[in-house]
This record gives sequence, structure tokens and C-alpha cells, in this order.
Amino acid sequence: MHNVVQAVILGVLIGGVYALMASGLTLVFGIMRVINVAQGALVILAAYLSYALFSHLHVDPFLSVLVVTPVMFVLGVLVQLVFVRSLRGRDSEELSLLVTWALALGIEGVLSLVFKTTYRATLPSYADKTWTVLGYQVEFVRLMAFILSGVLLVLLSLLLTRTKFGRAVRATVQNPTAATLLGVDANRVQTLSFGLGVSMAAAAGAVYGVIYPFNPGSHYDLISRLLSIVVLGGLGSLGGAVIAALVMGVTEAVVAVEWKPTWASFTYFVVLIAFLIVRPQGIFGVKERAL
Amino acid sequence: MTTTPIRLAAAAVALAALAAVAGQAQARNTAGPIKIGISLSLSGDFSDSGKAAERGYKLWASTVNAHGGVLGRQVQLVIQDDTSSPTQAQTNYQTFITKDKVDLVFGPFSTLLSAPSAAVANRYGYAFIEPAGGGPAVFQEKLHNVFFTQPAPVLQSGDVFAKFLLSLPASERPKTAAYPSLDDPFSSPIADHVRSILSGKGIKTVYKSIYPSETTDMGPVIQKVASTHADAVIGGTQNGDAYAQVKAMVQQKFSPKFVFLTNGPNDPAEFPSKVGAKNVNGIFSTGDWFPQEHSFGNAAFVKAYAKAYGKGAIDPTSAEAYAAGQLLQAVASKTKSIDNKTIIDTLHKGTWKTVEGNLRWNSIGEPQGSDLLVEWINGKLYPVYPASVALHKPVVPKPAWGSK
Amino acid sequence: MTSAGLARAAAFLAVGIAFPFVFPAAWLVNIGVLTLMYAALATSWNLFSGYTGYVTLGQVAFFGLGAYTEAIVFEHVAIGSGYNPFYVLPLIGTGVALASLPVAWIALRTRAMTFAIVTLTLLFIVQQLAFNLHSVTHGSSGLMLPTPTTFGVDTYDQPFYFAMLGILCVALLLCFGILRSKLGLMLLAVREDEEKARGLGIRVTGAKLTAWWLHVFVTAMVGAVWAYYLTFIYPESSVDPLVMIGAVLMTFLGGRGTLWGPVIGALVLVPAQQYMLIHLGGGEGYLIGYAAVFVVVLLLMPRGILPSLRDVVLRTRERRRTRRMEARPA
Repeated sequence: MHNVVQAVILGVLIGGVYALMASGLTLVFGIMRVINVAQGALVILAAYLSYALFSHLHVDPFLSVLVVTPVMFVLGVLVQLVFVRSLRGRDSEELSLLVTWALALGIEGVLSLVFKTTYRATLPSYADKTWTVLGYQVEFVRLMAFILSGVLLVLLSLLLTRTKFGRAVRATVQNPTAATLLGVDANRVQTLSFGLGVSMAAAAGAVYGVIYPFNPGSHYDLISRLLSIVVLGGLGSLGGAVIAALVMGVTEAVVAVEWKPTWASFTYFVVLIAFLIVRPQGIFGVKERAL
Repeated sequence: MTTTPIRLAAAAVALAALAAVAGQAQARNTAGPIKIGISLSLSGDFSDSGKAAERGYKLWASTVNAHGGVLGRQVQLVIQDDTSSPTQAQTNYQTFITKDKVDLVFGPFSTLLSAPSAAVANRYGYAFIEPAGGGPAVFQEKLHNVFFTQPAPVLQSGDVFAKFLLSLPASERPKTAAYPSLDDPFSSPIADHVRSILSGKGIKTVYKSIYPSETTDMGPVIQKVASTHADAVIGGTQNGDAYAQVKAMVQQKFSPKFVFLTNGPNDPAEFPSKVGAKNVNGIFSTGDWFPQEHSFGNAAFVKAYAKAYGKGAIDPTSAEAYAAGQLLQAVASKTKSIDNKTIIDTLHKGTWKTVEGNLRWNSIGEPQGSDLLVEWINGKLYPVYPASVALHKPVVPKPAWGSK
Repeated sequence: MTSAGLARAAAFLAVGIAFPFVFPAAWLVNIGVLTLMYAALATSWNLFSGYTGYVTLGQVAFFGLGAYTEAIVFEHVAIGSGYNPFYVLPLIGTGVALASLPVAWIALRTRAMTFAIVTLTLLFIVQQLAFNLHSVTHGSSGLMLPTPTTFGVDTYDQPFYFAMLGILCVALLLCFGILRSKLGLMLLAVREDEEKARGLGIRVTGAKLTAWWLHVFVTAMVGAVWAYYLTFIYPESSVDPLVMIGAVLMTFLGGRGTLWGPVIGALVLVPAQQYMLIHLGGGEGYLIGYAAVFVVVLLLMPRGILPSLRDVVLRTRERRRTRRMEARPA
């Protein structure tokens, strides 16, 4: 029993970080119906930026979030302007899927060129610190990453519900045409939201590298997780993404401890498929029309 | 509406391109340079090791050419990227043999690519001296032309730790052992082999599991291992998960008497920075090559490498590749021939001296020696067993985390 | 079938059959095998995604399933004179396609993007299974197939070449058949507006599943031949996302929804890929270059070579006709 609870704790902590990464993905889909397959690669890029800042300038990874997030926001805006916005026509959603996948490959290529394929890890002095709470081990960095994710997610939802920009975003999600008629600059909203989605993942990526060793190829595993999280949560739903991320984290951790580690992610996929039989639109998703 | 002209044009263009490339096919030349075809992973998952192999091969070629070449002919390496894909590796060797008409081929990086490539070489009667294909898949093919340039097949590379443990007095040996391993042909089978030796000799297996190759979080697994209070942790690992295992053990404050990881701690440059320099002492690993080893041509190799590529750590893959070249040189000077059949027949007899030690093989290419057991002592990595290659006495049991 | 179409098909078949005899060098036939492999994969991807409008990102999972099925079967069954692995191809294709139906039925209940992601998930599931089912697949150590000894040395690659050619022809015939049949009309209706089609009484699910079944049937056979060609497979090489991206890119390059588009795409890209590797290889430049080509094709020629060229031809003809009409006396 002790092992299970310990696993649940581990799962929740890592689920929170996944939730932050997935939030950007699902947000972007809700607004412009684009799946940014490069989200995983962008997280890894952020991890490398944070790693570089740490190894050369000794900037603490959690502090580097302050630098990496705005940089990636700008990058996200550029990506949207160059690659996504120019896609027009009926096929734009599928094309965006493929274009962003190509982008992910390009990022992987560039990272391999610059950093080689050796695994890296950002290791500040407190990397091994563990607290024992009520007999359970809680790693300091995972807890910090979880808190950071929580704070950013709350800020994100405040942004969406309390600000003018947030209202414009929600209007665009509900009805792009009506929103435009009401004076919302749909293009601007889309671009800024894309940047926002990327910067959320970047913040998570900056601290991801402290928890896990990573290399340029790590984005495949990451994006498969993020995609299955947003599908379970329902494409476009922030709350759904958070719940699904926690489900994934806990399922995998518990299966790894109680059964066999090799079946951990497989179990999650089975949960996903089973859920989709009952509810094809995911937890909080809206039943979509066909393309 | 007809697109026949367009389609025909497209097909014609494609064919013309192929014909142009085909026209470059060459005939074999027995007087000019010796052409050696090598498919290497210069991009993709194996690119770090592929590039290390390239450095080793190129260093050997430039060294041997500076001394008059092989049998008076200069060596010319024909290297092609296989992007870490077996399909491309197979295509590369086909191209080397039937288009570039190379005289010889050397092996690529990784068992996974060596297995299909060896079959291609075999079909055309080429010898397949290969530095990095030591897994069972290569030997399963039972090919007579394969020569793996390391002292022991990968599957048995951990056996040296088992032998070491059994060489200790019974009171110092571990009573129980846990085996957390990576799902990888070079990881879990090695730990399994060690387990098969130790469990028959009274060291009880209290945990064994295989975790998937993308596992980045070793927390849950080590949690399980720690709960068994095993005396020894014997992990079949690659670098990434080895670092993660050690970190997890430190974080969970679990310090067994013996820690042996098949990869990770054998990297003298990276290991301390990845797990913390104060955590390395007492950890064992295994390796096929060590820079200070007293093997044939090793001192010269290390010196030449530093001159060509700078002072950094030398990836053993470079030494393995270099050894392949040394073998060719040795056969050439012994038989005055580099004919493939001669190479195959000659290498199957006797022992051959290389930077990787003295090598000899059975009929299907499995080397018959043993790897080195290395240990971290006082922050440095030393070979400690067998005694003939040891540069330091082994230290047991492992000191607590963070101490000397 | 128009006479022009028949001529096209005959010309293609003639060139295809003659190729390994006109260019017998093993390395050229090897490239031929790879080109036909990708052409078949692209055509079968087009068969489903081009006609139904549902983007599937899980194709390579079935490629891998076909490969593993072939390898597992021939661990226990003898290859005879070396041709048995080819004779069983239709069985393997059928088997894998049938096994995929339950999952397809679940996946096809979702729409559009969700479907694409779910199929992508299939990819990872199959790869995980390949890793985990150790006793059957040998996990990460990989699986070996027997090497045929009767194919000769210089003509070794020919049986594989013709096997791939045969599968490609099957794929093309299926596409052609669909285009001309009631199934094709149903799929077109589904692609245009699925809800409306359902409302009109069209058996939407049945149509989608049929297209899916055929697509998996072809893909699995390609995977099986590939496995036999390499004689050694493992999870990462059998379920490799890059293989699928290549096939999709070729389809888009040649023209999605057309009959010959994917084949043209493969004919252009596979030799180009090899060329790039020789001259640009030796580093990560390859992956970056590949991604760049992909992006350029998608952004500038999203409809592909064939439709774009077709437009050019039509426009030129239209212009010529207009000019001729203007030149005629009133």
C-alpha cells in the first residue's frame, strides 16, 4: 500500500508538469484547430536553453524560466506567422499537423547538430534533495516543478477569464466569425495564443531537464504523451487536459510500481482507447464535425 | 484530360537520374588505393557513436598511410551515412560492393545495423570485421565471415563482475541481488547472464525487472529495489538510465554494498557530472577498452588520437574501429594478401594483437576473451579485475553516497 | 477505363518489369525495391486518407505488424525454396487487416483531428507491444528471418523487387477500382460532409471500414516483404515514424486523391533521398534538409505535383483554345 501511495504522489507531481505542457497544445487547438506536433520538440528546445544557461552562466533552472518563457513566446509567434498562418484552404488542419511535424524534425536536427545526441541533464546543487513527508519521499525538484506548473496554469486560466485578451480568445473559440464581426482581430488572437501555448510548454521544459535526462530524440516520447493527454481530456479543453495529465501520471507510476514498468505507458493507452469507446470526444471535449 | 506526357516525363527524369548515377559505377582496381567501404551512423540515434567510430577508422587510415599504406597501397575509406537505419545500412553495403566495387568492408555501429549488413557482405564473400556488433543477433546468423573486434561478445561482458564477486571470500560476497535493467539488446541480457551465474552460486535474486527504453523516471523502479534491501544492485543499463538509477538511489537514500551497471559508470568523462562527483565511488562497470590499458599499439593510439582530435575523453568505439584496421594490417603483413577469403581463413586461426587486447574468435565470429571490470575509486576510474589488466586494487564494499 | 489510361498502365508495367533487367546492378535494383516499397505505402495511404479525408498517422504500425507476422511465422515454418514468404503475403495482409478492424471501428467513431491522434497512438501501442511481448517478438533484441539461399548472388534482389511491384499493382488496382465504384462515390460523400451522407442513408461506417481494411491489407504486405528483405527486424526499425512521414510526403508531393500521384512522389523522392544522403549526408544536415523539403512542399504545393501540373496543362490548353477561337473569323 505504501508503494502505491508513493507512486500516486510521484504520478501527481509529474502529471502536473505534463498538464502545463499539454495546456498550450489544447489551447491552440481550441482557438485555431491546429495541432502543434512540434510542441514536444519545443519543450526539449526549452530544456536545452535552460541547460545552456545553467552550464555556461550558472543560472538556476527555475530562474531561467523567466528568460526562456519570453524567448519561446517570440519563437512561437514567429512559427505561427511563418508556418501556420500561411496554410489556407480546406486541408489546413491536416496540413498544419504535417507542417508542425516537419518543424519538429527540423528542431530535432538542429539540436542534434548543436548539442549532439548525448543525454543531458541540468543538475543544480539541490537536484538530489528529497524531503520525507509522512513517511513518503518527495523530491524537491519535482515538487517545485509541480508548484510552478500549478501557478502558471492558474495564471493562464485567469488570463482567459479575467482579461480582455482572454475574452477575445474565448470568443474566437466559440465562434470565429461572430468574434470578428464584434471587432476581435482573429489573426492577432491566433498568433498571440500560439505564442502563449508555446511559452507554457517552454516553462515546463526549462524545469523538465532537471528531473529527466534528455536528448534531441526525446521529443517523440513527449509528444505522444501530450497528444494522448489532450485527446483524453477533449481537444480544446484546458480542464480536461489537466485531469487527463494527472490520470496519465498516476496510471503510469502505479503500473510501474505494482506491475511492470514496461507496461506502464501501454496501460495508459489502453485506458485512453477504452474511454474513447464510451466517449469519443474525450472528457470535456465537444463532439466534432468531420473535417 | 491527359497527363500521360507529364507522367512519362517524370518517369523519364527519374530514370535518367538513375542512369547518370549508374554511369558512375566503377571497376575494381588491384593496383590503386585499397578501398574500404564503411556505413556509419553519422546522423540519427547512433550518431555520437557513429562519429566516434569514424574518428577511429580515419585515425587508423591516416596512420597506416603515413607509413606506406597496406602492402604498398594507400588506404581509402569510403564512408557513407546510414542515418542509424538498418534499411539504409543494407543499401550502403550493396552500393559499396556492387557500385563502388570496394576491396573490403568494415562494420557499422550497433548490432542492430551489423546483423543485416553482415548478411549482405557474406553473400558477396566479403570479410566483415566489425567493431560494434556484438549482440546475439549478429552471431545468430552463424556467418563465417564475421569478426567482432572486442574481447568478449556483448552478452558476456558482465560476466567479469560475476567472476570477481565469486573470487571474493564468502563473507564479503553479497547475499542478495536486484537486477533492474533496460529493455535493450545490450542491457537486460547482460544482467540476465550475470544473474544466471550468480544465482547458481548462492546469491539470491530478490528483484528483477525490465523497464522500457524511453523510461526517464527511475523513481518507481528504484523504489521497489530499495524496498528489497538488496546487497547488490546489478543493472543492465545504457548511459541515460544508469545516471537516473544512481540519482534515484541517492535521492531515496538507498546505498547497497555493491552497485554494478553495465554502462554509464564506464564513461570517465560524463559519469561524475551526471550523478554528482561525490556519488561515484565504489560503483563498478565493465568496458572493452581503457585508455591506460597495456594493449598492442594502445599508447601510440591514445597519443595519435590526442594529436588529431584534442585532449577530450576517447569513446571506446574509436578504439574498436581502430582495432579493425589493425587486424587488416596484421593479416596483410602475415599473408601478403588482402583477398577477402584469405582474410576470413587467416583470422580464424590464432590470436591477434590489437588495442582492444589479444583477440581470437570461434567459427561464427564470437570473441573468446573477457572484458575489463572497472571501478570508481577516489573519483577516478580504474580497471580492477582480472589481475592481469588491473591498475588498482578493487575496493569493496561500496562507500556510502557522498563519501570517499 | 479510357484508352489513355490503359496505355499509361501498360507503359508503367512494362517499365517496371524491364527495369531490373535493363539495370541489373544490385545496388540499383535495391533502390528500385525501396522506391516501389514507398510507392506502395504512399498509394495505400492515399487509398484511405486521400479518399475518406481522414488523416491516418498510424500506417507504419501496420507495416510493423506485417513485418513481425512474417518474421514470427517463418520462425516456425520453413521458407522452402525461398518463395514461401512471398506466397503467404495475402494471408498476412488479410490477417493483419482483420485484426485491425476492432481498433479501427473505435477510432472511426472519432472525428478529424482526434482520429489522427488516435491513429498516432496506435503507432506507439504497436511499438510497445513489439518491445514487451518478449516471448513472441524477442523484444528489443529483434527477430531474425531465415536467409534464402536460392536467389543467386547477382539476382538476389530481384524476387523482392517483383514482390514489391506486385503489391504496388494490387494497390493501384484497388485505388482505381474504388475511384470507379459505388464505394468511391460513398467515400467522396463522406469526405464532403459526413453527417449529410449519413442522413442520405449512405452506409458511412461500412464504407470507411472497407477503405481502412484495404489500406491495412496492402501496408501489412509491404512490411512483410521488407522484413524478409532485411532478414532482421526490431521494434524501432519496424515501426519507424520517419517511414510513414516519407510515404505521406510522397503522397502530398505527387497529389493526394489522384491515382498516380503517390507513385510519382515516390519516383521523385526516393532517388532524391539517396542522392541527398551521398552528397549531403554525414551529419544532421540530412534531417534538417528532409524537414525543409517537407515544409516547402506542404506550403508551396499543398495539392502536389500532379494536380498543380494538371492545372497548368488545363490552363495552357484553355488559353490556346481561347486564342484559336478569337483567331477564327466571326
